[in-house]
Amino acid sequence: MAKAKPIPQLDIHASNYKNACIIIKTRLEEMYSWDACVNDSNHVQDLHNLRIAAKRLRYTLELFETTHLEENASLRKEVEQIQEELGALHDSDVMIALLQLSLSSQDSEMSNEDAQSPTLQELTREKIAFHPALLSCILDPAVAPSAQERQGLNLLVTYLQREREEQYTAFHDHWSRLKEQDFQGQVLRMLDT
Amino acid sequence: MQMQHTHVCAAIDIGSNTIRVVVARCKPTDLDILATDEAMVRISESVNIDGKISPEKRDQTIAILHKFKALAEEYNAHPILAVATEAIRRATNKDEFLASIRDQTGLVVHIIEGDAEAMLTFYGATYELANESGVPTRIAVMDLGGGSMELILAKNLRVTWHTTIAIGSGWIHDRYLLTDPPTAEDVATAQAFLKTYIQGLHIKRFPPLLIATGGSANSLLLLAQRAFGLPTEHKVLTRDDLIRCEGLLYALPTKDIAQRYQLEPKRVRILRAGVLIICALLERFKLNELRISPQGIREGVLLAYAHSGERWLQAAQQSTMDVAVAHDSKTTIEPVVTDIPETFAQAGQRTIWERVQKMHNWHDEVLKNEDIEAVHKMRVASRRLRAALDAYKPICNPKAFKKVYRSVKKTADVLGEARDTDVMIANLQARLTNMPEEEAQAGIRWLQDRLSSYRQQQQKILESHLQNFDEDALKQQLADCFTEERKHHGKG
Repeated sequence: MAKAKPIPQLDIHASNYKNACIIIKTRLEEMYSWDACVNDSNHVQDLHNLRIAAKRLRYTLELFETTHLEENASLRKEVEQIQEELGALHDSDVMIALLQLSLSSQDSEMSNEDAQSPTLQELTREKIAFHPALLSCILDPAVAPSAQERQGLNLLVTYLQREREEQYTAFHDHWSRLKEQDFQGQVLRMLDT
Repeated sequence: MQMQHTHVCAAIDIGSNTIRVVVARCKPTDLDILATDEAMVRISESVNIDGKISPEKRDQTIAILHKFKALAEEYNAHPILAVATEAIRRATNKDEFLASIRDQTGLVVHIIEGDAEAMLTFYGATYELANESGVPTRIAVMDLGGGSMELILAKNLRVTWHTTIAIGSGWIHDRYLLTDPPTAEDVATAQAFLKTYIQGLHIKRFPPLLIATGGSANSLLLLAQRAFGLPTEHKVLTRDDLIRCEGLLYALPTKDIAQRYQLEPKRVRILRAGVLIICALLERFKLNELRISPQGIREGVLLAYAHSGERWLQAAQQSTMDVAVAHDSKTTIEPVVTDIPETFAQAGQRTIWERVQKMHNWHDEVLKNEDIEAVHKMRVASRRLRAALDAYKPICNPKAFKKVYRSVKKTADVLGEARDTDVMIANLQARLTNMPEEEAQAGIRWLQDRLSSYRQQQQKILESHLQNFDEDALKQQLADCFTEERKHHGKG
């Protein structure tokens, strides 16, 4: 997860309002720095970073909600929606990765220790990193899924992948619409008035 | 109807900062006090943030009420009367709060309005004066609470005028005095606010004697006795004594004062606001000293009960109406938004402080493990706190900030792991209805089972983390990091 950018040019003795504008601008830039990844639905990690950046912007707008009250509320609503769309996408990514990991390890009769080996963790980290204790629970050979359960898990993966495509489309359409409306410019103009 | 014989009764006062009990043998004009106790809960802390009494404050209150009820029962006190004031009056969930108290302790708590509060406080703070000589004809009584302040004027021990001022020591502390010790800049802002505010009190001729009651006034007396050797039987604080107390309270960190003078750290923080309020009043009305009374509303309740029996509350309310009709006397002064603009540093301190409190409000609910929404709410609160920390990082000392941030991040991570698992389990549950195929149902149930097993492990980790989470230590770290950075910027 990308860290929040530090904001060096703040003056702690200046008004809260003046500093709020600088912070909001930084968080807005941070969100748009991930713009290049939105056209590729396979950029799982970058889309997740975009989601975190949107969340930071939303909480920052909330933090300074008395600044430009009405405009702030409507812009915040858009950011909140982006965050929710990306949140749903991320939930699907996590679940799909968990299911794939579970099914692939069972296929190759991989042991619990193997699953926690650096190689597999590296593989999974490329997309989603799981807590080692969660891996242990999922990959415990004593409770491996039966053939019928495995079939069900496969069905679930297919279902979730289809759902993920729809979620991505919904997000992408919304993001594109905001770009057409020059959402970034709207926020900057609000802060400059 | 006056009670003919002395009778042991108890009164409990649930105030904005403190809960107190008194057990006494009661006569309509006198009390023989048998036992007293008090505990600081600061209910106003959660009410100031979102208008509600948090589950944590509710549970603390109930635990204390059990203890106070047991104390009253040791003396066979009957009845045990209970009243609640400003913070509870303002709380949007007061009905639910009182119902929980009734269900769990059997105590019926009366929320009393400011008028009745003033009257009962006056009875309690002044009943001993009847036996003294040389008491001036006109006196004033001030009850400085955490959420509000009552100011009462009387002639020949009969109330002639009173006002409720909707600021208290907790209110001033939570808005202006969050660093430890507060910076000169913060103190100046709080003093400027109080000066402007108290100017709004128009009293033609202020009485020569002011009696102060309430936790802050009594703790200031205690501090003066312990720090400056004032005799313990001495119940008067001069302006000089107060200035010395103020100097001490603003020179040293909370923990040093608490250790040196055996005061609760929470009380020390509030005292800083208390001394400013009292000094502002003395200055406004050109008084050189004030007398401190350890008695207050609780004793007033007992006297009212001894005098009027079951109708004690109606009688107190009637008295306030009589005063109002006779003298058009009652005023309520609401806090006004100060013209002094909040700086980034002040806004940051206030916001971070409020958000720490808001996050901690979910602490006990998460530990109960009855509703998965509590984990969600606490996690969201931790995220909002982190957003505030990110935004206001420049007002903090970098080293101290790291410590605070690490602690909050650890809490957010532990909550996040539990919450993400809850969401996955809930999503799978919803899939069971969307995917009727037998294999799909079997697969989903298998995964749900695995995730539930993992969630149980997470709950243990979460509980262990939260049980070791020290809210006061975190607040102290915050106060340290604000203070050090403000000094670093040359304003300390």
